[in-house]
Amino acid sequence: MANHIVSAFSEELDRLSADILRMGGIAETMIADAARSVVSGNNDLAEETAARDDEVDLIEEDVERRIVRLLALRQPMATDLRAVIAALKVSSELERIGDLSKNIAKRVHHLSVSPDVASALKGIERMGDGVVAQLHAILDAYGQGDDQLALQVWFGDEDIDQHYNSLFREVLTYMMQDPRMIGAGAHLMFIAKNLERIGDHCTNIAEIVHYQITGRYLSSSARPKAPLLDG
Amino acid sequence: MTETEAAAASEEAASKVLCRNIDVFYGDKQAIFDISMDIPGQAVTAFIGPSGCGKSTFLRCLNRMNDTIESARVEGHVYIEGEDVNAHDIDPIVLRSRVGMVFQKPNPFPKSIYDNIAYGPRIHGLAQNREDLDEIVEKSLTRAGLWEEVKDRLTAPGTGLSGGQQQRLCIARAIAVNPEIILMDEPCSALDPIATAKIEELIDELRQRYCIVIVTHSMQQAARVSQKTAFFHLGKLIEFGDTEQVFTNPSDERTQDYITGRFG
Repeated sequence: MANHIVSAFSEELDRLSADILRMGGIAETMIADAARSVVSGNNDLAEETAARDDEVDLIEEDVERRIVRLLALRQPMATDLRAVIAALKVSSELERIGDLSKNIAKRVHHLSVSPDVASALKGIERMGDGVVAQLHAILDAYGQGDDQLALQVWFGDEDIDQHYNSLFREVLTYMMQDPRMIGAGAHLMFIAKNLERIGDHCTNIAEIVHYQITGRYLSSSARPKAPLLDG
Repeated sequence: MTETEAAAASEEAASKVLCRNIDVFYGDKQAIFDISMDIPGQAVTAFIGPSGCGKSTFLRCLNRMNDTIESARVEGHVYIEGEDVNAHDIDPIVLRSRVGMVFQKPNPFPKSIYDNIAYGPRIHGLAQNREDLDEIVEKSLTRAGLWEEVKDRLTAPGTGLSGGQQQRLCIARAIAVNPEIILMDEPCSALDPIATAKIEELIDELRQRYCIVIVTHSMQQAARVSQKTAFFHLGKLIEFGDTEQVFTNPSDERTQDYITGRFG
């Protein structure tokens, strides 16, 4: 698309989407590292990961401030309006993803890993990979304006939900078999739940990206969902 | 009748003004190219587009103001409630009382506030006596949101009011002759933001009663006050649709470029 007559406006919009992608990149690393630190019991990596949340928060605050200013000064219309609203909403979704990843990382040190949960950890690893792939894809869709890819991510969340359901059952079984597992099991459940929530945030971003590109709303209720076991 | 035909028929029924294949020429130069559109009653329709795109020229077709320009020639048809405004038996003076107009610069008569409003009803014989006339003046000024501000100085000259008040006086003057349609050609471009806000508020109230068509250079104003928006470019109607859709998701690339500030 042609540039604005006011070139500073185009630059501001470009800078916004660049910052969203940078923020998304950090969030993506945070999820991957959080899941990895859970699986490997690496406390140092977990602490590092939790600390990165501040970076995400700072970018979000900055993005929000700039958008408020841009709305006041430029009163964007049509595609510009959608781009600005999308940036505002995506940044808050990414900020939540950062929080949830931090929460996962903070649980690492509570997990006294016993050999019995090794297979559950495999599940966390797989689910983490799935969620990271979802976020990666939706950031690509945002960066490239690829609606097809956004829709693919939107539909892809069903897999994450199914992952979550099987992990939930598995961990529940461990806890029933051995009450000493209940502490670690509860943490694993929260970790799985956090990953599942991150998956939901990815579908929210997919809806926002779809709106930015097409100007049409996707209705959340139209998306196929696996029924969640814990509601 | 299919569902779409039925919907189209009901849309046509709700339309106050039907424009069909309008061409306008100034001498040899064509300014408007084959524009057809249906303008709804009891709603605000905004015309937007870059300078020289023909929006004012097209607006002036609706009450035959182009008749006053020697070199202008209008082809095509404008129907107001089914009546062809260009028909021989239509008196333009009567037409213009049905289709009032408010201009860019407030242009009150060099008369008192009272006489500014009373002038039209007097020449059109809308009042039997002084009492009727007083009532029309009060009602018109009230509808234009000006009554409270001027009721104690109705004999003062209209030109002594502030710019925003003068413009509301002109709107009151247009309302006084009971028009069905009010055309506004950039009514706020000479006003400050507060006076502009008052006029916009007024436009929103007036649309309960009148069909309003407004030409504006302010995209935000068009988005705020109108329900339908038409985008003109180089004498052609490029896009005409619900205001919300035009400003959030325009279907034509040129509309998109214009409203986002990428034109030229």
